[in-house]
Amino acid sequence: MISINTYLELIPSLLDGAKVTIQVLLWSLIFTFIIAFIAGLGKLSKWMVIRGISTVYIEIFRGTSLLVQLFWIYFVLPLFGMELSAMTAGVIAMSLCYGAYASEIVRGAILSIPKGQYEAAIALNMTPFQRMKNIILPQAFKIMLPGFGNISIELIKGTALVSLITLSDLTYQALTLRNTHVGLTTEIFLSLLILYFFIALPLILFVRWMERRVQVGRA
Amino acid sequence: MLTTMSKEITEKRIQTEKPFVVYKKVSKSFGDLKVLREIDFSVYPGEKVAIIGPSGSGKTTLIRLLMTLEEPTSGVIEIDGVPLWHKEVKGKLIKADEKHLHKMRGQIGMVFQQFNLFPHMTVLRNCTEAQVKVLGVNRKDAEDRAKEMLEKVGLGTKLDNYPSQLSGGQQQRVAIARALVMRPKVMLFDEPTSALDPELVGEVLDVIREIAAEGDMAMILVTHEMEFAKDVADRIVFTDGGKIIEEGSPKEVFENPKSERLQSFLRRMRK
Ligand SMILES: Nc1ncnc2c1ncn2[C@@H]1O[C@H](COP(=O)(O)OP(=O)(O)OP(=O)(O)O)[C@@H](O)[C@H]1O
Ligand SMILES: [Mg+2]
Repeated sequence: MISINTYLELIPSLLDGAKVTIQVLLWSLIFTFIIAFIAGLGKLSKWMVIRGISTVYIEIFRGTSLLVQLFWIYFVLPLFGMELSAMTAGVIAMSLCYGAYASEIVRGAILSIPKGQYEAAIALNMTPFQRMKNIILPQAFKIMLPGFGNISIELIKGTALVSLITLSDLTYQALTLRNTHVGLTTEIFLSLLILYFFIALPLILFVRWMERRVQVGRA
Repeated sequence: MLTTMSKEITEKRIQTEKPFVVYKKVSKSFGDLKVLREIDFSVYPGEKVAIIGPSGSGKTTLIRLLMTLEEPTSGVIEIDGVPLWHKEVKGKLIKADEKHLHKMRGQIGMVFQQFNLFPHMTVLRNCTEAQVKVLGVNRKDAEDRAKEMLEKVGLGTKLDNYPSQLSGGQQQRVAIARALVMRPKVMLFDEPTSALDPELVGEVLDVIREIAAEGDMAMILVTHEMEFAKDVADRIVFTDGGKIIEEGSPKEVFENPKSERLQSFLRRMRK
């Protein structure tokens, strides 16, 4: 009896943590996909400088771990006079890290569109921008969706690391509570599991729904 | 009958007007491979030219240069007296930019061997997208024009279908309508029936014959269909090894081929 009451008292803290996690997640999702498109298209640019910058960015952020990137952005940048809140630092690090991965999905999908589609668009005298926007990207987008779904789920897992730069996210709250209520370890970690699942669920359903929507009319 | 009449009209134009498309010593190489060797070639307004020749002789490349899908290695192509791939700056020809190509390309249309319809758009949308985005036509007028052309190619009832729901022959006819709505002055066809099942070839050739008979638009047709070439073309051009070996009226070329290479090519085609 006592343990259930104590357990119920813990729930608000866990929910507070979930709120922070969701906040980090949503912002990171938005910026991840913006960065993915910029870097993915950048790597396909006809200008060498843009290709070079995109490649360097992608390789650096894919080649180092998210944890190291978080530490750099939160603890090292201030030494050079760039002070960021934990939330901002977390979102920036997550977006840059997953954006680098997602840019490869964007690039791969664009490259998978047959040459004939570009040529037909040229024959209709579309500008390079129109070719990309009206012909290539709508087709490539469909191919990106499964990859984007996976990246989104990865992002949720990645958010747990922001606790290490002092953000009181879900994982952070759970770890703190466990220190003070050792007897409830199982309950706390079970709640953690369930809460993460419910954060992921809408994302999973959303990606499914999108995939079905873009199937329409295509064999 | 119609074809004969339009041929007479074209005949007159060739005698009185300047050529619309001119290739001047145009060469094209892919790496070390010389695909076109100093081609001189013209097309008159409204003229229908069929290009025939063995595989690998450079027929496709020849028309892809005009559609700006490949850049010539040397030489100049002019459309209506204006260089296509070059711009004149202080009396010198320099490589043209995308803006210049955009201005020139509007006069050319192309139908591809593999149709290349946009799979994510309905038939109607395939035929309106460029009108709206490129020509700036409002959607209603674009749809009217698209429906008219789709009617002409016999697909007025398939407006809301997606390309994947159509047969190859139907897809190619949509592709023809899609090119026609843009009102090109010259339309290029790259073996428009060679990706089709034999029983679907006829319906596509009939549509092209009909368009040819209407007259105004010049056409360059790369084809292996000799009978069709004979019917439709004012002039036949025979290419081999990246050169134009022989050209002339269908009668001259098919009934009285001069070069040994054309003779043996025609013998092989008849088999
Ligand atoms: N993008 C390219 N890169 C390298 N080689 C090419 C390219 N396009 C064409 N070629 C080569 O150029 C030559 C001429 O090709 P082209 O497609 O113009 O011939 P064709 O007369 O149309 O032949 P076919 O009747 O088989 O269509 C061929 O040897 C071909 O392999
Ligand atoms: Mg060819």
